[in-house]
Amino acid sequence: MFDIRATFSKVDRRLMAVILIAVLFLCLWVASTAFSKYIVFIITLIGVYIVASASLNLTNGYTGLFSLGHAGFMAVGAYTSALLTFPVKGREIFVIPKLPMFLGGPEAAWPFLPALVMGGVFAAILAAVVGLPVLRLRGHYLSVASLGLMVLVTALAMNLRNLTRGSIGINSIPTYTNIWWAYGCAVVTVYVVWRVVNSSFGRAMKAIREDEIAARVQGINPLKYKLLAFTIGAFFAGIAGGLYAHISGAIRPYAFSFNLTFQIVIMVVLGGQGTISGPIVGTVLVTVLRYVLKPLEEALGVYGLVELIYALLLIITMLRKPEGIMGRKSGGPRGGRWVGSLGGKKS
Amino acid sequence: MLKVDGIDVHYGVIPAVRELSLSVDKGQVATLVGANGAGKTTTLKAIMGTLPAKRGTIRYKGEEITGVPADRRVGMGIALVPEGRQIFSRLTVGENLALGAYHRKDKEAIKKDREWIYTLFPVLRERINQLAGTLSGGEQQMLALGRGLMSHPELLMLDEPSLGLAPIVVVDIYEVIKEINRSGITVLLVEQNINMAMKISSYAYIMETGKIRTEGAPNEVMKRENIMKAYLGE
Amino acid sequence: MIVLTPEYIIQQIFNGIVFGAMYALLALGMTVIYGILRLIHFAHGALITVGSFCFYLLFMVLGLPFPAAIVLVIGLGALMGLILDMVAYKKAVGGPEVSMLITSLGFYIFIENLMKLIVSPQPYAFQSPPFLDTIYSMPVLTFRTIDIFIIATSIAIMVFFTLFVKKTKMGVAMRATSESGEAARMVGINIGRVISISFIIASAIAAITGFMWGAKYGQIAYNMGFMAGVKAFVAIVIGGVGSIPGAMLGGFILGILETFSVAFLPPGYAAYRDGIVFFILILILIVKPSGILGQREVE
Ligand SMILES: Nc1ncnc2c1ncn2[C@@H]1O[C@H](COP(=O)(O)OP(=O)(O)O)[C@@H](O)[C@H]1O
Ligand SMILES: [Mg+2]
Repeated sequence: MFDIRATFSKVDRRLMAVILIAVLFLCLWVASTAFSKYIVFIITLIGVYIVASASLNLTNGYTGLFSLGHAGFMAVGAYTSALLTFPVKGREIFVIPKLPMFLGGPEAAWPFLPALVMGGVFAAILAAVVGLPVLRLRGHYLSVASLGLMVLVTALAMNLRNLTRGSIGINSIPTYTNIWWAYGCAVVTVYVVWRVVNSSFGRAMKAIREDEIAARVQGINPLKYKLLAFTIGAFFAGIAGGLYAHISGAIRPYAFSFNLTFQIVIMVVLGGQGTISGPIVGTVLVTVLRYVLKPLEEALGVYGLVELIYALLLIITMLRKPEGIMGRKSGGPRGGRWVGSLGGKKS
Repeated sequence: MLKVDGIDVHYGVIPAVRELSLSVDKGQVATLVGANGAGKTTTLKAIMGTLPAKRGTIRYKGEEITGVPADRRVGMGIALVPEGRQIFSRLTVGENLALGAYHRKDKEAIKKDREWIYTLFPVLRERINQLAGTLSGGEQQMLALGRGLMSHPELLMLDEPSLGLAPIVVVDIYEVIKEINRSGITVLLVEQNINMAMKISSYAYIMETGKIRTEGAPNEVMKRENIMKAYLGE
Repeated sequence: MIVLTPEYIIQQIFNGIVFGAMYALLALGMTVIYGILRLIHFAHGALITVGSFCFYLLFMVLGLPFPAAIVLVIGLGALMGLILDMVAYKKAVGGPEVSMLITSLGFYIFIENLMKLIVSPQPYAFQSPPFLDTIYSMPVLTFRTIDIFIIATSIAIMVFFTLFVKKTKMGVAMRATSESGEAARMVGINIGRVISISFIIASAIAAITGFMWGAKYGQIAYNMGFMAGVKAFVAIVIGGVGSIPGAMLGGFILGILETFSVAFLPPGYAAYRDGIVFFILILILIVKPSGILGQREVE
């Protein structure tokens, strides 16, 4: 298998990628003209979520940090970009603060792209600052600390009312995000993740994931790479948040809380952590499932049906393919604690 | 006593042991030697039942046990003193020993075995309430042996009991192994330290990359090995 | 403005202990399961939902006597634990930790939505039996009987559980299994049984905690288990993953922190509550990276 891969020259693979992207955008174009607004909205949403899941994969999948804080970074990106793009005329009515001089002054609203990038930058800065102490933690300790970060961000969003309007949230955000923005960002995110993973940088990350002590012995500074992975992941989470704000047109603190964080984690793990295609597949599946089953639920009047089916499929998939749908089976038994059978059954 | 017939053992998809056969007679000390990574530990785990045999059969006292789970094999009289000891370091010495007799109900006999273990390793009695993780390396090996003996085994498998121990301690441990064998327990010994093992065993297997390379009486095997080495220049 | 009298402070400590006791019970079960399976059992929180609604049905709807209702709730919790163990976790073990975690999230989502279908999304008023509702006003402390019930029952459960784990054969086997499953099998421990028993005990404890939860808050809803599960997870991590005393300590710390961050905060800042709690928790972790009573996590 590896030999075949090796014989593919780099150019061929790049060409393949370009063709793939061209086909993707062609399909998107067809979809955007042929399908109803609702379906196009769902397709766009999938693109937004791919930005989030692909970037979480960088920290959780490739570097082995089990972060539960992604929704917090998305919130930072969402609020930042929404505050920047909010039309000047509406600011008074909707009680949105005017921009200070260093951000363009009271008579300015930002175009979408720079606002989006700014959201990513803010999220990345937060990740870098918080990551320095927090990334020294491992395993579940890191999970709880990152979850705590997310809670802190929502608490701030609730309480900095002058900036965020508290629990009411911000409405009437211009809906700039369309299918092209979403998939443009998705392609860039996946490309960056792919480039990072296949660089010397990515090899260091994977070495840390497999065995941090061994990596350190080889002269890799784990904290440096963890911090970089965390920061890049947060940057794209911020972008995803910005896209989300500008597709839904309204954001509230609790939209960026436990549900969202766990949902993105589920997408990544279900699809297969540590693979490029995994998070994409996971995102498509989870989102499509939700929206395809919704009408069925409404028709039957059985509210909760979607979630029940979703949960069942999740359980069955994870029991059948613990490494995720696109995940590769690792050679040895992970952890090595449960080799062989448990009591009662045949070895 | 034990007859392993053509077993394959895999880790996930990676094969570690292929078509391995060996047998151990009652009352014997048999030894399995081989370089690091040859598959000795894997073989013992398959016999113990903590790793499944993909193919082949394992028979013990005439009965096929290939599909029997590990915990039941303990009850049948098989015990393994694992590589690297694997004592329960957060439990006390006493609790470790008690767990060795986990499946047993015969209180009196358990007590007798415990006393016997204390005569073999007096130091364990002194450390009875100490956390096992705080013992020295040699003491931990003694505890692992004691824990294995507490199950009242008929077949005791020892995986590199001399690993990482000071030479004097190794000599002590080997004295005890002889003593254990004299008491009627069949021993299957795994070692990298060939000389020591060959001295006390009556049959030897040499393993190489998942297979048995040669077998026979220890001195013959040693001779053959030396000739091979001379030929192959290993 | 809050007046910080000694009475007020004592009262708040007492309240914190009551909430902490419930978190501690949940965390206790979760940490036992974690120790043995390396599974963060998020679905554990769902059992308090099931337990509380079950009590509601038995006691308030069917009118069973209080002791009978409690015993049945415990029994049902144990049964749920056994079912969860049989349908899922026996098969899930050995997979990567994250996939087990997602499996258990799946179970949580499933149970929550099943409850939502059965009991409707509306919250229910939960009335504890009158003899638990009596209010006592002392010079320094005001409390209801239920508070004493919660503290006494929790402490009893914790003491019994600690004795069980320290003194009984099965308890020692549980500790051995949580240290090394493979070595446990080598000494003849039937791990399948150890897992089942851990699930049964943990789930029974969670079910009775469900009753306490309902009685303390006076309201139950189909989704009450989610935050409970998250908090139990947080508690075991703060206390030190895998440590049983650590889990209980973590639960009390969390309960007291939550109560304090409401009690000693100016009224306008109530919404900061969770933020402050988690901020302090992060600080604790930075100072003690393996939790308060935890060993270093071996990767
Ligand atoms: N948990 C494991 N996962 C994957 N491969 C393993 C595992 N344990 C051992 N192996 C491989 O199986 C082979 C045999 O190992 P082992 O039985 O431990 O050898 P020995 O005991 O003779 O040193 C080696 O190549 C080793 O790398
Ligand atoms: Mg070995």
